[in-house]
Amino acid sequence: MILTALLLATQVAAQDPRLERLDPETRSAVAAVVDSAHGVGLPVEPIIQRALEGTTKGAAGPRIVAAVRGLAADLGTARSALGTSASTPELEAAVAALRAGATPQILAHLSDIRRPPLTMALSVLADLVASGVPADSAAAAVLALAPKARDADLVEFRRAVERDIALGAPPGTATSIRVNAGAAPGYTTSSDPNTAEHSSSLRPRRP
Amino acid sequence: MFEREDDSVERVIQHLRRSVSIDPGLDARVMREIAQTPSPRRRIWPPPRPVWPLLAAAAVLGAILIARPWTRDTTSGSDAFQFVLVAPQAASVSLVGDFNDWDPARSPMQTAHGVWATVVLLEPGRYRYAFLVNGVEWRADPGAPASKDDEFGTPSSVVTVGGRGEGS
Repeated sequence: MILTALLLATQVAAQDPRLERLDPETRSAVAAVVDSAHGVGLPVEPIIQRALEGTTKGAAGPRIVAAVRGLAADLGTARSALGTSASTPELEAAVAALRAGATPQILAHLSDIRRPPLTMALSVLADLVASGVPADSAAAAVLALAPKARDADLVEFRRAVERDIALGAPPGTATSIRVNAGAAPGYTTSSDPNTAEHSSSLRPRRP
Repeated sequence: MFEREDDSVERVIQHLRRSVSIDPGLDARVMREIAQTPSPRRRIWPPPRPVWPLLAAAAVLGAILIARPWTRDTTSGSDAFQFVLVAPQAASVSLVGDFNDWDPARSPMQTAHGVWATVVLLEPGRYRYAFLVNGVEWRADPGAPASKDDEFGTPSSVVTVGGRGEGS
């Protein structure tokens, strides 16, 4: 009876109607990945979303299966680095950081020097790399700012670097300059209402 | 005139001095009635009427302060994000991403002179998304960070909603 209960508990994918959007063969393979991830305590929602993204974008079944397998593996790596208490958003952001070039050691170091949630710090690291900043420079910048910077500070830092890059600054140089400015005492965010910590604006924010 | 008045007073006095016969069971009946009558209780709640308007006003004010309807949805922790795409030639644009199961039917965007927009409530997390134009063309958000981990060959963007009320 206990085994039956465990079996039912682990077969979450079979009960998720969203996976019916996949063709039967792909659905079966994705369900196996989802159940496996659930069995080891990894979040399954990111995996399901990746499969749904693939099918909406018209990707072939094998490509979808490869994507969800890779994501499950990276989620496991992220959890090993951040610890079992890491939330699903943190793990998703950590996967993005890993794929951007951050090492598990960087993730672990970040979790040591910054109180959770780490979602924004990890995401900014990944976004900086996506903007052209070398991975080691992006990691060094985030680690330098992480102990004291608020989420809003990190967001503004990323935007400032992106602005500098758009104006022609080399990504690495732009990052270094902004880190030095941001690490200075009294560093605060800009007056951008989208990042103001206590903004009471009713306007929806832009991504 | 004074004598007649004295006579009247005397008659009243005489009348009052007459013995009155009282039913011997009167005391018992009176006491029985008293025993059967519910005793008036001292009202502690509700308080006297003049306090009610003050209490009602305090309750309404307290509810408003707790709910804080002028701020973000604090009960669910979600925050409103507006997604915008300028696409004057498009006939339809949908927002699809991790927040709506990548279902184009869930978040159709509305247009005003070629500017397509929609608002989505997002809880803290990192979300990948893209715009689907005319049902066939995938576009990233030019105003948001690009997603580098796109295994499906089409552009996507990223929005991160911080856990302390911050977002990018």
